[in-house]
Amino acid sequence: MTRFGQLFNLLGLFMALLEILHFPDQRLRKKATAVTEITAKIRQLAEDMLETMYDAPGVGLAANQVNVQKRLVVIDVSEDKSSPLIFINPEIINKQGEREHEEGCLSVPEAYELVTRADTVRVKALDLDGVAFELDADELLATCIQHEIDHLDGKLFVDYISNLKRQRIKKRLEKQFKQQR
Amino acid sequence: MAKPQKHTARASAARVIAEVIQKKHSLNGVLTAALTSLPDNDRSLCQQLCYGVIRWQPQLEAISQSLLTKSLRAKDADIAALLLCGIYQLRDMRVPAHAAISETVNACKTLGKPWATGLLNASLRNYQRQHDEIEAKILQQESAQYAHPDWLIQRFKQDWPEQWPAILEANNLQPPMMIRVNKQHGSRQDYLTRMAQANIDATAIEVCSEGVLLDTPCDVFQLPGFADGDASVQDGAAQLVAQLLDLKPNLRILDACAAPGGKTCHILEQFPDNQMVALDIDPRRLLQIKQNTDRLKLNAELIASDAVDVDNWWDGQLFDRILIDAPCSGTGVIRRHPDIKLLRRPDDIATLAQQQQQLLNKLWPLLKPDGVLIYTTCSALKQENEEQVASFLQYHPEAQENAISPTPAERRSFGYQRLPGDNMLDGFYYASLSHR
Ligand SMILES: C[S@@+](CC[C@H](N)C(=O)[O-])C[C@H]1O[C@@H](n2cnc3c(N)ncnc32)[C@H](O)[C@@H]1O
Repeated sequence: MTRFGQLFNLLGLFMALLEILHFPDQRLRKKATAVTEITAKIRQLAEDMLETMYDAPGVGLAANQVNVQKRLVVIDVSEDKSSPLIFINPEIINKQGEREHEEGCLSVPEAYELVTRADTVRVKALDLDGVAFELDADELLATCIQHEIDHLDGKLFVDYISNLKRQRIKKRLEKQFKQQR
Repeated sequence: MAKPQKHTARASAARVIAEVIQKKHSLNGVLTAALTSLPDNDRSLCQQLCYGVIRWQPQLEAISQSLLTKSLRAKDADIAALLLCGIYQLRDMRVPAHAAISETVNACKTLGKPWATGLLNASLRNYQRQHDEIEAKILQQESAQYAHPDWLIQRFKQDWPEQWPAILEANNLQPPMMIRVNKQHGSRQDYLTRMAQANIDATAIEVCSEGVLLDTPCDVFQLPGFADGDASVQDGAAQLVAQLLDLKPNLRILDACAAPGGKTCHILEQFPDNQMVALDIDPRRLLQIKQNTDRLKLNAELIASDAVDVDNWWDGQLFDRILIDAPCSGTGVIRRHPDIKLLRRPDDIATLAQQQQQLLNKLWPLLKPDGVLIYTTCSALKQENEEQVASFLQYHPEAQENAISPTPAERRSFGYQRLPGDNMLDGFYYASLSHR
């Protein structure tokens, strides 16, 4: 988080918690488009997304989950908010192995299911200054990167589980959503 | 992506128990899935907590209600279940009280609900303080005293006016582990020797020719030659079924409700060359038969179909033997599946009785004139058992019920009933039918 960010945070200013869309909201199915210029708006969005993710609490958030169809992902898999990562236009350039990992999603509250994905990945992206970087990830970080990039392509982790389980989750969330209204 | 769920024995147990109680999913299925994400050394505690809490749920729930000033919200069913786990540890487990309390309270945080720590801590300490009073008070409710739902207590009372307290008590005991030795691979005596060499204490079950009773349950893969099919897990009451079928070579046999294939395999172990058609309505459960026949190197024709839907699966050839091990209330095996107490509803019994009646009516015509049809259930309720057979005989004057010798259980007006725990075995019902 930038110094300014921390300052704003202390003052409780400008750092907005964003509304997270919930499955089966069709807007989660839209494909995000590449970020062409890193404007102040994009920087603000990244800060707000981090804040929203920490608050949830989550370890990753993709821009289309907060209804912005841009290829921007924030991740922090540390226990103490110490390792925020921002990926602009991320791409997986190498995948190795397979591993089953239990996943949950901020857009699919209270559902946790086993999903099989690549064991390790190499990802390429831009940082907030527009500088390209590559990163090798394993364990939770590898799972999370794949999960978030799926979001940018309109895919959700529930797409990998059985139809029956997905329908059950969908029904439950539709019911909860109605009750909240 | 949401923060990953943390897994500890107590938190996982709370999640499992909440899912069984709230969503009415079967304990075995939910627990098996949960155990895969737990570290090895947490598994046994989680399993003990789940079985113990579900077994005593009506009792623990009554205690919990006297501790909570208002009941928890539906979305906090995990916290409600965690409280039951805490009470169970204090009452029935050899965990030091302070550890039981602090670990249970900590599990609130693992469940992502730190707000509940104060509530759980206070409730469990209140239970310790008011222990005698609370325990005395809950015994005044019959469902808490016997740890069964009221409707089921009433059913047992109605069917077994004398035996019902003994039945309820037997249902609450931890079941012994029994196995069946594969006689194609060697004698029971030899297998007992191999078990002794593996330091597994066990004795022969007198009433079953291939049955062995273990002193303490163990993992199946500790059993000598389990992977090679030298033995299978099966209660003695279920092992008696193959003996009733009067098996010999060159028979064509139908096992109409076969999954997971315990009896299918036992029948084939007698004469592996017999022709076996094994049916089950549930294709996923049918796969379990395949696993068992593969392990035991036996052959059966497996068909996924509703057995009642005869046109759908039958090739028109009559059978020498038919086994209907019917879907039932499971009220004879509550000690093995304590979740039956929570999952069954009073009106399930009539629905099941109807399915059983249909199975009998539709499969009876598939029996050869000199064939034998065996009807069995793991129920202890008359509606599914002797009353079922009585009404079948009433509508089928061409059929008769046969006396079985030696008797597999207590003789009833029709068939034989074993009540839960008789001779340490599961509750079971057996009837043999043939043409007059
Ligand atoms: C008591 S269990 C059978 C246990 C099995 N005989 C053994 O010894 O391992 C009853 C089985 O009947 C199956 N079933 C229920 N209704 C059925 C039907 N109409 N046709 C065929 N199978 C049915 C269930 O799926 C279940 O697997």
